[in-house]
Amino acid sequence: MTKEPILRIEDVVKKFGEVLALDHCSFDIEAGSITGLIGPNGAGKTTLFNLITGVLQPDQGHIYLRGENITHKKPYEIARKGVGRTYQIIRIFPKMTLLENLIVVGKGRKVMERAVDLLGLVRLSDKKDDYASDLSFGQQKLLSLAQVLMLDAELILLDEPTAGINPTLQNELMALIHQLNGEGKTFIIIEHDMNVIMGHCEKAIALNYGQKIAEGSCSVIQKDERLLEHYFGR
Amino acid sequence: MRNLIERNRVWLGIALLMAFLIAFPFFATDYWMTLLILIFIFTVYASGWNLFSGLTGYTNFGLAWFIGVSGYVSSLLIADYNFFWLLAWPIGALFTSMISIGVGYILLRIKGVYFAISMVALTEGTRELFGTEYLSPITHGGKGVPFVAGIKLATLYWAILLLAFLALVICYWITSSKFGLRLLAIREDEQAAETLGIHTTRDKITTFVISAFLVGLAGAIHFTYQNYIDPSFAFSIHLTITPIVMTLFGGIGTVFGPVIGATLFTFIHEILWAELTLLYMAFFGGILMALILFFPQGLLGWMKERGILPRIRKI
Repeated sequence: MTKEPILRIEDVVKKFGEVLALDHCSFDIEAGSITGLIGPNGAGKTTLFNLITGVLQPDQGHIYLRGENITHKKPYEIARKGVGRTYQIIRIFPKMTLLENLIVVGKGRKVMERAVDLLGLVRLSDKKDDYASDLSFGQQKLLSLAQVLMLDAELILLDEPTAGINPTLQNELMALIHQLNGEGKTFIIIEHDMNVIMGHCEKAIALNYGQKIAEGSCSVIQKDERLLEHYFGR
Repeated sequence: MRNLIERNRVWLGIALLMAFLIAFPFFATDYWMTLLILIFIFTVYASGWNLFSGLTGYTNFGLAWFIGVSGYVSSLLIADYNFFWLLAWPIGALFTSMISIGVGYILLRIKGVYFAISMVALTEGTRELFGTEYLSPITHGGKGVPFVAGIKLATLYWAILLLAFLALVICYWITSSKFGLRLLAIREDEQAAETLGIHTTRDKITTFVISAFLVGLAGAIHFTYQNYIDPSFAFSIHLTITPIVMTLFGGIGTVFGPVIGATLFTFIHEILWAELTLLYMAFFGGILMALILFFPQGLLGWMKERGILPRIRKI
């Protein structure tokens, strides 16, 4: 029996002038899953994240979150409904302290306690009063993830989370993602490192030139002829 | 315990300074009172500018628009409709902040230099409009409106002192609140802020309107003090640039920077003007360039960087 999808992408089209960035793309994401979104540069992966989070509007098609149409909602509304994202090029608030970077996102009571806890979770407690710009690249990625957790997002979109960080931090990050997944959070991960996808995702969706060219469990998708041809160039 | 004493010492200092400033009209000459009135007016202008532009990063080059609109509404109410000044001032400021909601809604969609230019255009356009003969039955056209509000200099002094104090309290409160942090997040990365659930449009407009109210109220007082308003002074670029320079001078994005900037700037201006009447603008320009070159963060920013002051947002 399949679970109700937390996210449904339905026939989504996005054009930038003459360029078709997403071409009638459709798929479902199951709640509590970790899905890899793969494809060569320019395949439309980040565009898809921008559409899901409301940063861009699709030209056609619909996006549903837990059955609710969120297609033309504003980014802050979508975020408040529980969709959080990180960016490929880190976008934290550089001239704010780590604590401020988290507090600003939090809602309701005990914001400070939660911020302190989350900094502990990503092992940045000792830097809580430093400016975010003083962190290393990898630490900034962790802070960015902590911001999304502060938002209490259920669906978390990570744009190349392991790119440019050392293997130890990469392993810690992936362990953290599994821990959070165990607590019920759903992840969609854009990643170029196929080892990360194969080792950590239950399912992968492959895009090429804005079209979905393959979808399925990692073991199946690994053998997909079209994917091998488009993605690995054979 | 030591911390508590330290904190109380600061409050005690502020209380003593306030007591001195409140008692000032009882022993000071009119010249000194006038000087302080100008300092307080420009403190509110600079703090109001800093509250919006210093925190959100949207450079408002139309501060004179807040000043002029509110100044005109209150001055006309006093001059033509015999309104009591205490009533005319808040009406002017409220009117300005109400229109600012619409202006903010339209113009705060554009960023950077485009927003700055659009505010200049709005101010210049309004100046032209207020000076035109078509509106002269209401605005008295380009010749301006002389009027007497019947307020004593000391009363005006206390009124603007109270407003400057309230403006600082509001700035202090906003800067140390979560709302203030959201404004900083907008300055740092607006799109990232929005995807983290921050309603950036609402927060920007709210600050813009608070800024309009405070600056508008000071504008109303300014023209009552001048006993005269005309379009070319009310919407002059000088009224926009001076508070910006004062803020940069004291420290952009800080709470007390605009006060320090307004005070030092006014005194330096006054001394140079008295000593070097013909050359003072040239000297003044030189001092400004040196400040921007050597203290780009302003005096408070520089002191925070050097560790002379703690690096906290409440200062």
